[in-house]
Amino acid sequence: MNHTFHISKNKSNLELRSHIVRCIREFFWDKNFLEVETPLIVRYPGQEPNLSPMKVDIRDELGKIFRGHLHTSPEYTMKKMLASGFKNIFSICKCFRNEESFGGLHNPEFTMVEWYRVSSNIFEIMDDVEQVFAFVAEEMQTVISNLKLENNYQLPITNYQNSFVRMQMRDLWKEVLDVDLDDYLNRDKMFELCVQKKYNPKEDESYEELFYRVFLNEMEPKLREIGNIIVYHYPAQMAALSKLYDDDPRYAERFEVYVDGMEIANAFSELTDAGEQLKRLQDEQEERRRLGKEIYDIDMEFIESLRNMPECAGIALGVDRFVQVLLGCKNINDVLVLPMSKLFSS
Amino acid sequence: MGDTTDIKKGTVVRHNGQLFVITSFQFVNPGKGQAFFKCKLKAIGGDKGMEITYKSGETIDTVQVQHTNLQYLYSSGDMYSFMNQSSYETVDVSADVLGDDSKFLKEGIDVVGSMQGEAIVAIQLPKKISYKVVTAPPAVKGDSTSGNVTKEIELDNGLKIQAPIFIKEGEEIVVNTETGEYGGRASE
Repeated sequence: MNHTFHISKNKSNLELRSHIVRCIREFFWDKNFLEVETPLIVRYPGQEPNLSPMKVDIRDELGKIFRGHLHTSPEYTMKKMLASGFKNIFSICKCFRNEESFGGLHNPEFTMVEWYRVSSNIFEIMDDVEQVFAFVAEEMQTVISNLKLENNYQLPITNYQNSFVRMQMRDLWKEVLDVDLDDYLNRDKMFELCVQKKYNPKEDESYEELFYRVFLNEMEPKLREIGNIIVYHYPAQMAALSKLYDDDPRYAERFEVYVDGMEIANAFSELTDAGEQLKRLQDEQEERRRLGKEIYDIDMEFIESLRNMPECAGIALGVDRFVQVLLGCKNINDVLVLPMSKLFSS
Repeated sequence: MGDTTDIKKGTVVRHNGQLFVITSFQFVNPGKGQAFFKCKLKAIGGDKGMEITYKSGETIDTVQVQHTNLQYLYSSGDMYSFMNQSSYETVDVSADVLGDDSKFLKEGIDVVGSMQGEAIVAIQLPKKISYKVVTAPPAVKGDSTSGNVTKEIELDNGLKIQAPIFIKEGEEIVVNTETGEYGGRASE
């Protein structure tokens, strides 16, 4: 009876979730975005050093085995579509990531909305984020009044107009630590800062690892205090799939969205330089090797596609977390029909 | 020495020379960045609380503790008394060691205490505890779209939880102490 009890207990959350997802679709349809479906099974998974893709073996009719992976995000396929002439596109899909917690902020199977704008940059995507929050929260007022929920149910926050603070990473560091991030853009300086802060870093830690030690311990409480915040301009070492600023290549055109300290979206002005992207993926392979993680071949079709990809910007926003924020649910399990913890609990 | 796979409620760690016990933790993996465990800790023998963020896989200076079986007896004020089942002595544990877990305590249940020297620094509850239902409002067959599919019931130790509407007074039910949720009828 555990399964039906979980579903019954969260029935209104699940019902509201369904309407939230509908509103997200309406938001993008109104802006002339095309909804696309990408394969969930891919041959080459993402290379992010901290992600563990799930393996899946597929057999053809003769029993020949093909090793695939459940995608960790639809990013590579959507970029191949952009390179093939698609303009503004969005996808609402399940994504899969292994070795994550069953509940809390994670479920190994989760839902993402990912969208791309051609001839655009991160600032337009920031506008989208702010507008999608405002639009969905407003639409949900009508939904909630029509559903006649118990005890005059209301969303914790009904108005998201102008609710997001936009802050450069550099300004955040200045405000919290009173240091200039420009002075901490190399590994040795960041290492020194970590030692000074008594984080006991190891000698072989990468810039990114050291950066996150400071960010998580020092900035994160500030993000919680601010509430809704978009942090942008990341050090180039953490560019991932974003492009660097033409006028200041020490920083990358990347932003993240935090609500009460919880990261809910990550966005880039997308890197369109195939050679640079190949080099970064090779570096990530190296990093995976250092961390003792499985190493994957690089998707050369993806690299090649970048040669034809238009200038664009894109973002991945966690739908489950978006629902959590709108409904005020602390645990992701409360917005999922059957979370992993229920599937595998005795 | 240990690493982040040792992180759980009750783990004792040494941080900058001082002993702390982990009271709660959360795993976070940003995907495009470092995965980490955000831990809340409490200083042993003091009130000082703090948060530490460990990188996933990082070495942690964990401290070995002794485990001892205890039986819960009663509470008085901010003190909870247990019987040490090997020495039959009564040991007192302060409310801040138990934290939110105190709401699950019920006379006679067996728990595991973590000892650091002579002090009990953490209590581990059984994963599931059975309780008798003392108050359960009768089920009202209502409009199912109103979301009225669970109800609040009260258990024999005063704990109130959400349960399915078919649960009646006098029944024995099980509560999952990790989630604080209804976990089925005791007989199921």
